[in-house]
Amino acid sequence: MTLRRWLTVILLLLPGLGLILGLIGTVVWIAIAQSFGLYGLNGEDQFTLQYWAEVTDRRVFARSIRYSFYVGTVSAILSVALAYPLAIWLRKPFTGSMTIGAILKAPMLVHGLVAAFLFINVIAYHGILNQAMQALGIWDEPRRLQNDSNAIGVLILQVWKNMPFALLLLTGAVQGISDDVLDAARDLGAGAWDRFRKVIAPLSISAMQAAMVIIFIGAMADFSFQVIAGPTNRQSMSQLMVFFKDRGDWHSAAVVGVTLMGLAMLGASALAFLARLVMKGRSR
Amino acid sequence: MTREQLNKALLILLLVICTIWLVIPFGMAILWSLVDPSEPWTADRLLPPAMSFWRWRDMWENSSLQVAMATSYTLAPLAALLSLALATPTAYALGRIAFPGRELAKLLCLLPLVVPGFVTAIFFTSLLFQLGLHTWRFGAILFAHAVLALPYAIRIMTVSFEQVRQDHIDAARDLGATPLARFRVAFLPALRPGIFATLLIVFIQSIEEFAIAFILGSPDVVTIPTLLFSALGQDYVRPNAAVLSLILVVPNVILMLILERLLKSANPTLASGKG
Repeated sequence: MTLRRWLTVILLLLPGLGLILGLIGTVVWIAIAQSFGLYGLNGEDQFTLQYWAEVTDRRVFARSIRYSFYVGTVSAILSVALAYPLAIWLRKPFTGSMTIGAILKAPMLVHGLVAAFLFINVIAYHGILNQAMQALGIWDEPRRLQNDSNAIGVLILQVWKNMPFALLLLTGAVQGISDDVLDAARDLGAGAWDRFRKVIAPLSISAMQAAMVIIFIGAMADFSFQVIAGPTNRQSMSQLMVFFKDRGDWHSAAVVGVTLMGLAMLGASALAFLARLVMKGRSR
Repeated sequence: MTREQLNKALLILLLVICTIWLVIPFGMAILWSLVDPSEPWTADRLLPPAMSFWRWRDMWENSSLQVAMATSYTLAPLAALLSLALATPTAYALGRIAFPGRELAKLLCLLPLVVPGFVTAIFFTSLLFQLGLHTWRFGAILFAHAVLALPYAIRIMTVSFEQVRQDHIDAARDLGATPLARFRVAFLPALRPGIFATLLIVFIQSIEEFAIAFILGSPDVVTIPTLLFSALGQDYVRPNAAVLSLILVVPNVILMLILERLLKSANPTLASGKG
C-alpha cells in the first residue's frame, strides 16, 4: 500500500471509526480519571486514591457488585438455556415454524420500559396473576409480587427480553449445520442427546458465547428493570452510579462506573471461557 | 408419537405460552388504557366497567406527551441521517478497500456495544460539563445517538458496499460514465436497501434510547422513553402508563417489520439487477 492509499483509508475511517474511538475513548478516559479525583467539576483536580478507598469500603458497593453479577450471570445462562432447545426445534422448517419464530422473537421489538410496565401490570397486587391464582384456589389472598427481594421479577424480564436475541443467534448457527453431519452421527448410533452434545453444541459454540457475553453485559449493567421491578433494598451498579451522580459526587460515580466496565469485561470473558470448557468437556 | 404429532403438540403448547407471554400482557395494557375515570376498574370485575378513549385524549392534551413525541420524532430522523453520513465513508473503506488491519477496524467499530449505556451516558455528560457544552442538550443527545448507532450503520453499509459488483463499476467506466453517473448506476442500486435499513435501524435505536436521553436530557429534554420512565416512577398512574407504553411500542413494531422486509431484500442479485 502506498502512502497516498493509506491516507485515503485513514481519511475515510475518520468520521465513522474515528468518532467511535474518540467518543468511547474519551468517555472511558474521563471515567477513569474522575475515579482518581481528576477533572473535578467543582474545580479540584488532584490525583488521589481517596474515592476508591471510600467507595470500596462501603457495604452498598459490595452488595451492588454481588447483585449485578447475580442478575447478569443468571439472565445470560437462563436465556441461552431456553433458546437452545427452541433453536434446535426450529432448525428445519415445518408448517407454522415461521409463525412460531416470529412470535418468539416479538419481545425484541418491545422497549424494555414497556416490557417492565406490562410485567408489573400483570403481577400487580390486584393484577391478573393474583386474581387467577385466587380463582384457581391456589392462593387464599393476593400476594405482593412486585419488587420481590430475590429479583425474580428482574430475571423474568431479562429473559423475556433477551431470550429472543439468543434464539436469533443460535438459530443462525444451528441452521448452518448440514444434515449430512447429523445423519452421519445418527447412522453411527448417536441418540438425540449425543447428537446435541457431540455435534450441535461444539458447532454452535461461537454463537452461544456471543449471546452469553452480550446478554451478560446488558443485564449486569441494567438500570431500568431494576428501578421499576427490582428489589427496593438492593441497588444494581448502574443504579448506584446514577445515585452518586445525582448527588453531584461524580468521583464516586466514576469508581462504580470503572468497576462496572472492568467486571463486565472480566465476567463476560469468564463466562465465554466456562461455556467453552463445559462444551469441550462434553464433546470428548 | 410421530414427528408431525410431536410438532403439533409442541405447537399447541407454544401457543399457550405465547398467550401468557404476549397476549395477556398486551391485552391488559390495552384494557387499562381504555378505563374510563367515571368508574374505576376494581379487582372483582373481569373487564373495565366503563371504557372510553378519555385517557388517550387526556394524555394527549394535558401531559408532556406532545412535546416528547415532537422531540423523539425530530431527534430520530436527524440521528438516522447523521449516522448514515458518518458511517458511509468508513463502510466504503471497510467494504471495498483491502488494507492491513481491516478486521481489527471492523471489530473496533463494535466498541459502543460493549461499554454499558449508563457509563457512556454519565461520563459523556461529564465531558460536556468539562467542555462547557452541557446547555446544548438537544444537539448533544443527537450527536450521541448518531455515534452510538454507528456500529449498526457501519455494519449494514459495509455489507452493502461489499455487494457492489466491480464489473458494473468497470462497465460504467468503460462506457465513459462520470464519477457521479457511475455512483448512480453501479453503486446506488446495490446500496439502496442498505441505506433504508440503516436509516430505519438508527431511527428505532434513537426512539428507544433511554440512558443518554435520561441522564443528559433531564429535566429539559423529554423523549417518549424518559416520559414513560417518570410515568412508571414518581407519578405512576396505571392507565396513563398503559397509554404511553402503547404509544411507544406500536410504531416501533411496524417499523421493525418493514426493516425485516428490507434486510431480506438486501440481496445482491436483486439489488444489482442481475445474477
